[in-house]
Amino acid sequence: MKILTFILSILVLSSQTLWAKESLPTGLIHLDGRQAPPLKLNDMDGNPFDLSKLKSNWVFVHFWATWCGPCRKEIPTIQAILSEYKNSKLKFAIINTAESEDLIFEFLGIVAPDIVPLMDNDGLVTERWQPRGLPATFFVDPDGKLRYLALGGRPWDKDIYKAFLDKMR
Amino acid sequence: MQDPIAIPTYNNQYTYFWTGICIFFLGISLSSPLHAEKKKKNIYEDEDVYLRSVYRSPEQLAAFYEGREFPHAAIKRITQSCYVTIILKNKTNDILWLELDNWVFEQKGKIIQRYDRQYWNKQWDDVKLQQSYRSTFGWTLMPEVRDLRAGEGVGGSIPIPMQTENFSLTLNFATGENKKGKIKSVKLPNIHCKQDIDEE
Repeated sequence: MKILTFILSILVLSSQTLWAKESLPTGLIHLDGRQAPPLKLNDMDGNPFDLSKLKSNWVFVHFWATWCGPCRKEIPTIQAILSEYKNSKLKFAIINTAESEDLIFEFLGIVAPDIVPLMDNDGLVTERWQPRGLPATFFVDPDGKLRYLALGGRPWDKDIYKAFLDKMR
Repeated sequence: MQDPIAIPTYNNQYTYFWTGICIFFLGISLSSPLHAEKKKKNIYEDEDVYLRSVYRSPEQLAAFYEGREFPHAAIKRITQSCYVTIILKNKTNDILWLELDNWVFEQKGKIIQRYDRQYWNKQWDDVKLQQSYRSTFGWTLMPEVRDLRAGEGVGGSIPIPMQTENFSLTLNFATGENKKGKIKSVKLPNIHCKQDIDEE
């Protein structure tokens, strides 16, 4: 029994090590697995969103603003993949930082009409998450822990990033 | 038999010819679109960093913040300062430390103090600016501190008091996870606060 426990422990440890050292697409880094900050916002249509209710799913938590150049480039690539993950275990929380509905509506209507963003009206939720800048994408695991961070804008519709996202579906 | 005087003349012609060719190609390379673009866009690049500096006039800044629906009182405060916008990329395979306190604005040997976030909070309290605008303005500023990972980029504005004469900016970066690596320094000379009448 002791030998079995020992072997199982080794297997568990090595699988964790492998997971921790897993290679990621360019621009993604591992986070330390601390609990994700609260995220309770309404979307632009007034529907409530609460991250804590998405346990057992992976969540793509994205912060952006219309004035930010890299965000403008990245948001169409998010729109391009949304439908592919619609009924999967990967959920999307796309948060606009501190802008008015008019500005967002005008912008998204042209470049990404399928995105209904969450409205961080005063920008305080964004500040609590402490992104390294805008845009920023965090990946929250099914236990509600911060697992990965994308540095700056990424082309999410490219194969290498889709392969990464597919592991979470 | 050739005139001995003629030989150097003949060589001189060759020298002039090849010098002319070299100057021609040097001229071509310096006036190439790539070089012109780099010069025009104020780009500095070496094996460690890519740096691009951008300067906006008060009118351009006002247009940006008006477009973001900022109130007039806030725009008035914003346009009284001079903004040096830096786009920076860490090209090393190590951590490059962006620490604004280690960036030095200097004019004729005198340090120019930048306006930090505390200064702006005071300005926004004075004009009772809503939190959403404070947040947007804050995100357009360069972060105070950032451990830039390999390949990571960052950009933002650094406000300073309006200057009428040229100044320099020396960017000093510590390197390595514990800041124990070599210090990287880049000096951007001859910066000026862009005015509305300036040409690009």
